[in-house]
Amino acid sequence: MIYSKTNFCVLACLVLFLCGTYAFSQEPVAPSNVVAKDTPNDDGTSITVTWDAAPEDSGIIGYVILRNTDEGEFEVIAADLDPNLSKYKDAEIEKGKDHAYIVRAVYDNETPVDSTQTAAVKATGQWFHTGKTPLFLAMLIFSTAIVWNIYHARSGREVFIRRIPGLEAVEEAIGRATEMGRSILYVLGLGGVDNVATIASMTILGQVARRTADYETTLRVPCNDPIVLNVVREMVKTSYLDVGRPDAYNEDDIFFLTTDQFAYAAGVDGMMIREKPAAVFLQGQFYAESLLMAETGNSIGAIQIAGTDSEHQLPFFIAACDYTLIGEELYAASAYLSKEPMLLGSLKGQDWGKLLIFAALVLGISLEFFGINWITTLLQRVS
Amino acid sequence: MKRQVPLALCFLFGVAMIYIEFSPHPYSKAVFNEVIKWGLIISPFALVLAVVTLIQTHTSRIRFRSEHWQYSFIVFIGMIVMVAVGVPFGQLNPVFVWLYDNVQVPMDATMFSLLAFFIASAAFRAFRARAFEATLLLITAMFVMLGNIPVGDLVWNKVISWLPLPESWVLLEDGTSRMEDGASWLRQWILDYPNTAARRGIILGVSLGVISQSIRIILGIERSYLGGGD
Repeated sequence: MIYSKTNFCVLACLVLFLCGTYAFSQEPVAPSNVVAKDTPNDDGTSITVTWDAAPEDSGIIGYVILRNTDEGEFEVIAADLDPNLSKYKDAEIEKGKDHAYIVRAVYDNETPVDSTQTAAVKATGQWFHTGKTPLFLAMLIFSTAIVWNIYHARSGREVFIRRIPGLEAVEEAIGRATEMGRSILYVLGLGGVDNVATIASMTILGQVARRTADYETTLRVPCNDPIVLNVVREMVKTSYLDVGRPDAYNEDDIFFLTTDQFAYAAGVDGMMIREKPAAVFLQGQFYAESLLMAETGNSIGAIQIAGTDSEHQLPFFIAACDYTLIGEELYAASAYLSKEPMLLGSLKGQDWGKLLIFAALVLGISLEFFGINWITTLLQRVS
Repeated sequence: MKRQVPLALCFLFGVAMIYIEFSPHPYSKAVFNEVIKWGLIISPFALVLAVVTLIQTHTSRIRFRSEHWQYSFIVFIGMIVMVAVGVPFGQLNPVFVWLYDNVQVPMDATMFSLLAFFIASAAFRAFRARAFEATLLLITAMFVMLGNIPVGDLVWNKVISWLPLPESWVLLEDGTSRMEDGASWLRQWILDYPNTAARRGIILGVSLGVISQSIRIILGIERSYLGGGD
């Protein structure tokens, strides 16, 4: 009797164990909702495969991605992918061909399970990056403001422009050099002709050249970029022609020094010490050489007018030069010096843009206090 | 015609480049890369002209015995040696590499290290407390410099311990000092908040200025880069 009771208990435990094991074990499940899509906003070189993320206790230890091209054989293109993944970007596709994918779930001690095959997809490049729409709209609004103001400036209505001491001093610096019978040194920085700061600097140089042509003052321009050299020569020559003094133009005063940063700084410093120019213009894009030149100019007692959009070099110029055009003032110089209504109109448009940004910042900060952050999010997307 | 063609090309390429910025299509990329290549093609021709002007400048310096004309010989010697070694044997030639590493690099480093002395002399002038702004700059710079050096926090902690500050100001609830290592904290705060705010203001202005200048160039309003005048 006792024997049969023990047997019954053992049998019951065995049945319970088997039932429990069956209840808590899961059948390997294939990845679901597997979709292959052409990756949006790219140049047509990738396809993105997505699937539903597996639950944590699914037992999946990794994924394998299989691909076929133009209905050929499926081949493994990626293995040992993280089990927490639910997306894979295939960036090694064959252009112009159809690709279908299978996502294989790999289990520990179990047979891997394949998903159903996705529909065949062909990757194509997009003509417009939709992610950049806010940036495009911001550019469009700002450009419209500038064009609108340029158009209205053509009517000849006077445009107020605040006084910029650095540009007011241009005349004074040229006059001083003329009175002292010394030269003017104009340094365009290290930017190439594709640099907007260099173009702005060349515009100021054009205005300076007109005055030096008038006063017959020597204008020396050492260049560090061969293309800039050629453009500057042509520009200064035209300025001299425009004021009717082609005889005063000396091509040898605009010359090439070197493309090397510190060799250029050494060359310019040497010229300053040897020739002792009465005025030094440092306009354009500068790097670490800015202070080397500005301090040397300061040591020879030249009147120095600097201007750059490199915000890291501005403190050096402010410390070592008499006048500094800070950032945007460099770009306003051509309008300021020429007083052309259309150029002045563009400055007004620029101010509208600043006003718009300022209003967005104030509104964004105010709304943040109330927990509303859509302006902050929008600005983040624009940037 | 001399002006119209460049202006039309500038408009065409300007608009195309703006569009390319917003288009990831392979054709857009191909056009962009092609235009960059054209730019690279122009460079060697311009470089020849630049080297000619360099030779002319130094030849005339020697001919007219300008001040320190003897140094122009060094320019010619340097140029001839580097061309004679570099052009036939390539940039990886050991002699070329040796000359670069032992002449060019030390000279560059010398110029760069001069910067430290120039910073000191410029800072001395800038930090003279002649006006309210200069005084403010001086005090701020002192705190930033103090926070940058390892001994800064040590000095700060010592000064704070000497000051007769109420305990509630200095001590936190758990007994630790809220003013400990204040020099490095203050330095970071100055860099993160007032400094970043000022920098961003400048960057915003510069960005708008760049866009404005670009529009003026693309529309042909700003044409001084073509050689001045109208």
